[in-house]
Amino acid sequence: MTAQAFFIGFFGLASVWFGIVVFRTYSMMRSAIALLFSQTALGAMFLSMQAEFLGVLQIMMMATEMSIMAIFMVMFMMDPGGLGEMDMTHQKRLSLIAGFVSFVGAVAVAVFVDWGPVATTFPDAAQQTVDLGLELLDRSMLIFETAGITILTAMIAATAVAIQPVKKETGKK
Amino acid sequence: MSPEISIELIIALTAGAALFGVGVYGALSQTNLVMIMMGVELILAGAMVNILAFWRYLHPDVAAGQMFVLIIMTVMAIEMAVGFAIAIARFRAKGSVEMEEAVDLKG
Amino acid sequence: MNTLVILFFLLLGAYFVAVLENWISKGRFQLSAPLYAAVAFLGRESFIPRKPDQIFYEVGPVLLLLSAVLAAAVIPLTPDLIITDLATGALFINAALVYVLVALLMAGWGPDGAYAMIGGWRFLGQLIAYAMLIVMPITAVAMRAESLLTTQIVTSQLSLWNIAYQPLGFALFFVASMALAFLPPFNMMIAKGELAGGVEAEYSGMRLGIFRLGRLVLIVTLAAATVIFYLGGWQGFYLFGFELPPWAWSTVKILIVTMAMLLIGRYMPRIRETHLLSWCWMIGIPLALLNIFVVGVLVLEFP
Repeated sequence: MTAQAFFIGFFGLASVWFGIVVFRTYSMMRSAIALLFSQTALGAMFLSMQAEFLGVLQIMMMATEMSIMAIFMVMFMMDPGGLGEMDMTHQKRLSLIAGFVSFVGAVAVAVFVDWGPVATTFPDAAQQTVDLGLELLDRSMLIFETAGITILTAMIAATAVAIQPVKKETGKK
Repeated sequence: MSPEISIELIIALTAGAALFGVGVYGALSQTNLVMIMMGVELILAGAMVNILAFWRYLHPDVAAGQMFVLIIMTVMAIEMAVGFAIAIARFRAKGSVEMEEAVDLKG
Repeated sequence: MNTLVILFFLLLGAYFVAVLENWISKGRFQLSAPLYAAVAFLGRESFIPRKPDQIFYEVGPVLLLLSAVLAAAVIPLTPDLIITDLATGALFINAALVYVLVALLMAGWGPDGAYAMIGGWRFLGQLIAYAMLIVMPITAVAMRAESLLTTQIVTSQLSLWNIAYQPLGFALFFVASMALAFLPPFNMMIAKGELAGGVEAEYSGMRLGIFRLGRLVLIVTLAAATVIFYLGGWQGFYLFGFELPPWAWSTVKILIVTMAMLLIGRYMPRIRETHLLSWCWMIGIPLALLNIFVVGVLVLEFP
């Protein structure tokens, strides 16, 4: 049991715990912030796995993303403060079984599969960043460009779907 | 289970599996579109943990492993953007984003 | 040891910012004013709203202070005086400062009051405006340094400070960091005249004291970040024949930047976040992209 294993386990546990809190609280704001802290704990877990760039990036990106999620939660839920303790779930038994079965299945695969030899050498943080940059602009450039174009398409599509339709008759609304 | 397997890898994979399970539960049990999207985010987070753990403990010399995580982050962002756009359109048309009510196309 | 020195420096800086702010807004230069204010915060009664979201209400101000201090962890005051020299330092500053938004959202939602909540959401709108203008100029800075290490970024400015090398990036970053620290004219979310104090409206006593302290530390941190990204960090030149030590150069520059930030806000009307959004996305981001392009060409020609 090394220190690294301890920290990975600790942050993984925190992440899962906050993930459970997301679906157990009635307050929508708490739900969104719990998801944010789940993702932040994941970022810390990446840091303890010595993937520094991705850890910091995860911590940075998810803060913005989940805050935006929070405002949509408050906008679209009927009871954002959770004071009425409204039940917002259906097919609970089926979902619990499905969640549990997928968890057990994935753990079984993780434990019983022979993953092969564990790597011993490991690039340091600065070297990783360099490697990742070269990978992005060299071999995987097409894939990354495709991701960029996909984001652009999604942005345009999202704006087009969400924009308020103007009524022709009156010209204003 | 081979003797040279690392305990860190197993812990990380278990955490990923747990996140995946919680996400599946959330995505199936919630009635609101925004909450369903939260479940999907957790599922993607579980995938991310697994890929990073594989990269770190099995193939640290292949930078493409890290790039895969970047792509998943992109997918999360795209999912959010498109999901919220649909939520806004639906809310404007019907006044709610409850998925129990979204049975307009049911035969 | 370094950690203690930097924390002491932040505290001292926050004190001076408080003095300066008092001087600029009230016109009286009183060295002891913040001390009295702090003692008053400690002694005053803490009102708690009737139905607060307890966790958010307590965590909000602390998270604000924490994110500002964390961002300062990667800022070098001298070549050796740095808490941790992360390989992704320039990105880490961003990552820590995004939690200012989370803190304000929590502090706004927590007290269960309309003014505070609207203040919090206003800051979300402001974030969407300024966030890209923080990241993109830093990208250009890192391009010149060919590294994300903050110490490397400072040493890359040995021949020419970045303020002369990429003035456009400096202007954008300066404005964006003012918006991040919700200094006037971007202080719609805590202004007394707008929302009766906005996010601060429901806080009193100790908690308000921590909130204010967090904001002051945030201003110091952002001024320090501006200094290391654009003003050559600890590097100085011969002044009247003798040389100042590196920490003195850092301090002087940080004070000047803070002064400039506070003074500009004094002479501007408040800017609504909707206007800021349209300006940032229609003018700011194209300019930032142009900055990245120009710096890219310059780096190839004159590194």
